[in-house]
Amino acid sequence: MNGGPLIHVVDDDQSLRTALLRLLAAAGFEARGYASSGDFLLQPLPERPGCLLLDVRMPGPSGLELQAALQHRGCALPVIFLTGYADVSSSVRALKAGAVDFLSKPVERKTLLEALHRAIDRDARQRRERDEAAQLRARFATLSGRERAVFDGVVAGRLNKQIADELAIGERTVKLLRSQLMAKLAASSAAELGCLAERLRQLSDT
Amino acid sequence: MLPANFEADEGLRETIQTSQGTPVSIFDEFLDAPNFGGDAYAEIIATYLRDKYASRPPEVVVAAGSEALSFLLQHRSTLFLGVPLVHLAIPLPLLRSMQLPPDVVGVPVEYDFLLTVEQALRWHPQARRLLLVTGASPWDREWEARLRREATRFSERVTVEFLAGLSTDAVRRRLQELAGDAVVFTPGYFVDGEGHHGTPRQSVEAIAAAAAAPVYGPYSSFIGSGVVGGYLHGFKDMGRQAGAIVNALLAGSAPASLQLPALMPNSLQVDWRQLRRWGIKENAVPNDAVIDFRQPSLLERYRSETIAAIVALLLQAGLIASLLFERRRRRRAETAVHLQRHELAHASRLAIAGELTGAIAHEINQPLAAILSNADAADLMLEAGGDRSDELRQILTDIRRDDLRASAIIQRLRALLSRHEVERQAFELNAAVDDVASLLRGEARRRQLRIAFKHAMKPVTVVGDRIQIEQVLINLILNAMDAVAGVADERRTAVTVAVEQVADGMVVISVRDRGPGIAAEHLPKIFDSFFSTKRDGVGLGLSIARTIVDAHGGRIVAENTAGGGALFRVELPTARLSLLMTAPT
Repeated sequence: MNGGPLIHVVDDDQSLRTALLRLLAAAGFEARGYASSGDFLLQPLPERPGCLLLDVRMPGPSGLELQAALQHRGCALPVIFLTGYADVSSSVRALKAGAVDFLSKPVERKTLLEALHRAIDRDARQRRERDEAAQLRARFATLSGRERAVFDGVVAGRLNKQIADELAIGERTVKLLRSQLMAKLAASSAAELGCLAERLRQLSDT
Repeated sequence: MLPANFEADEGLRETIQTSQGTPVSIFDEFLDAPNFGGDAYAEIIATYLRDKYASRPPEVVVAAGSEALSFLLQHRSTLFLGVPLVHLAIPLPLLRSMQLPPDVVGVPVEYDFLLTVEQALRWHPQARRLLLVTGASPWDREWEARLRREATRFSERVTVEFLAGLSTDAVRRRLQELAGDAVVFTPGYFVDGEGHHGTPRQSVEAIAAAAAAPVYGPYSSFIGSGVVGGYLHGFKDMGRQAGAIVNALLAGSAPASLQLPALMPNSLQVDWRQLRRWGIKENAVPNDAVIDFRQPSLLERYRSETIAAIVALLLQAGLIASLLFERRRRRRAETAVHLQRHELAHASRLAIAGELTGAIAHEINQPLAAILSNADAADLMLEAGGDRSDELRQILTDIRRDDLRASAIIQRLRALLSRHEVERQAFELNAAVDDVASLLRGEARRRQLRIAFKHAMKPVTVVGDRIQIEQVLINLILNAMDAVAGVADERRTAVTVAVEQVADGMVVISVRDRGPGIAAEHLPKIFDSFFSTKRDGVGLGLSIARTIVDAHGGRIVAENTAGGGALFRVELPTARLSLLMTAPT
């Protein structure tokens, strides 16, 4: 199972933690337990897909504080909160901060497993997107200065001739640069280049 | 009852009932002396009183008048033994002749006949005759004897004449014949020369109605009967004085420790209508005199008729009213106060429970959540098949443990909420502190605070109501948690609870916080009811805490610590070993 999703359970109640780990194992998940937010942060986090199952209120840093700390560190593991309190303000805060779910204890198996699946799916999607973006960035980094200028012109919807005039180069040169950059970016049409540009813009926004 | 008794009783009741926080039952007994007397009669009355009050012994007995006092002293060994006795309206010379036990107290009176007669002679300078009217009962004869001794001092100025032991008719006839040169003085009488019984007031009414001369008398109850007045002791004042003594005794003062005036004060009291009738100028009346009936209102007239009606109903004259305070009723009143306190303590626990609800729900939720997840896990394991009985057995063990954990929390909560009878039982203080710790664990967690509990080195046994002591601790700890709520420095948010056996027979539970402490001006009133510094506080928690600790024979103190923060110390007596040993069966 190494490399499959790993679920981190952070709850100070040993009895509940044990029961949750047992349930997750029986449901086919690999899971690890931590008695506090600090325990979790002290452990090296393996680079594996998965999610966090967090108790909201714990002695020491609360689940919400752990969530904030992880975001600060750039850790994007999805978080599911488990709480014993029907606490609206905490749940709003948690969900605004990007929590997948805010579940109240005791939690039904179905509800918990569905939430876990959603979280793992989200993690997988996020990872895919991250990989994709990284590739895209890597490819884009290989473009030369003139190729990048042509790229900007193409995605702005200008004709080769207009780009040539703008850059004060020949139209043939533009065509050459255009085919080079399309090869580098693995794009087959101007429309595809437009999509890539949009993705890049989104990535640089986030 | 006599008018005098009526007034004294009124003063007594008014004083006792307005000052006692708990209702006091006052029972009147009437000896009906001197109409009836003799040893056999006294014996019957004593037996009657003994039986009547056997199951409800009085707290204090008030003897109104010398007959009552001597009756009670005579039967003291068998009647109201050990009950303090308060006397009223006892003449000083009589008191001097008696050897009173130390628990018989009161302020004596001195009927000053001479002052009254002298005042009369001042107002009637033309008077040449002083008539003194007395009756035929042994009591009346005593007054006569005294008057005969004392009146000699007037014999140089006026002719002193006695109308002693005559029939009322004869007295009337003699007084009707008087001219303007006479003044009459009478203490009234109980029995006239023909053996007719009456009250002194009735006799004086007859005397005043018949007399063609001004009549003076020594009792305040005579005012309104037709007498001009005299230097009098108000019976109501005597009642009030006795009432004040009763109050002091009921409050726990020892009879011998009371600081009492040597004598009841007397004052000149006159009937304004009689002043007018006998031509006494108002400017001849001393400023400090009490003038009655200046403008007889309908109410006053009605009141005097009411008194007369009561007198008519109680025609059998007597002298004595003894008033009894029933101990059991008082105890019942105490029980009521106790109950009220108990209810208050219970209400306060409900409030605490309300405050802890969220946290306690969480505490119960944890094991419930674990139980559900364990059951789900077992379910999945069974679905998956294979022999996993060891794991399943472990799951069942955990489920059982969590179930017990949840139910223990519910039991502690229920104990806190129960309206139980106050118990006096030996319990181990460290264990009680553990209960408190478990009830507050969730709350501390909710508030993200830490409570450190330190036990005593050895088991400490306290006798009392475990729930109430736990309530006190919860209250103090919740206050401490409130105190550190706004503290930014996380190192200062811990609350420390420590049990220490400080000396033999004394244990201290301290609750310490490192919050802002108690404002100096609040320290003295912090245990008062309805004092609160919290925005939504009722101010009962600490006052109830103190009541509870007091009831356990301990004390609770609040102070600020040197390092900043507040320290509450609950000192409790610990149980002696002998109390713990069970009796051999």
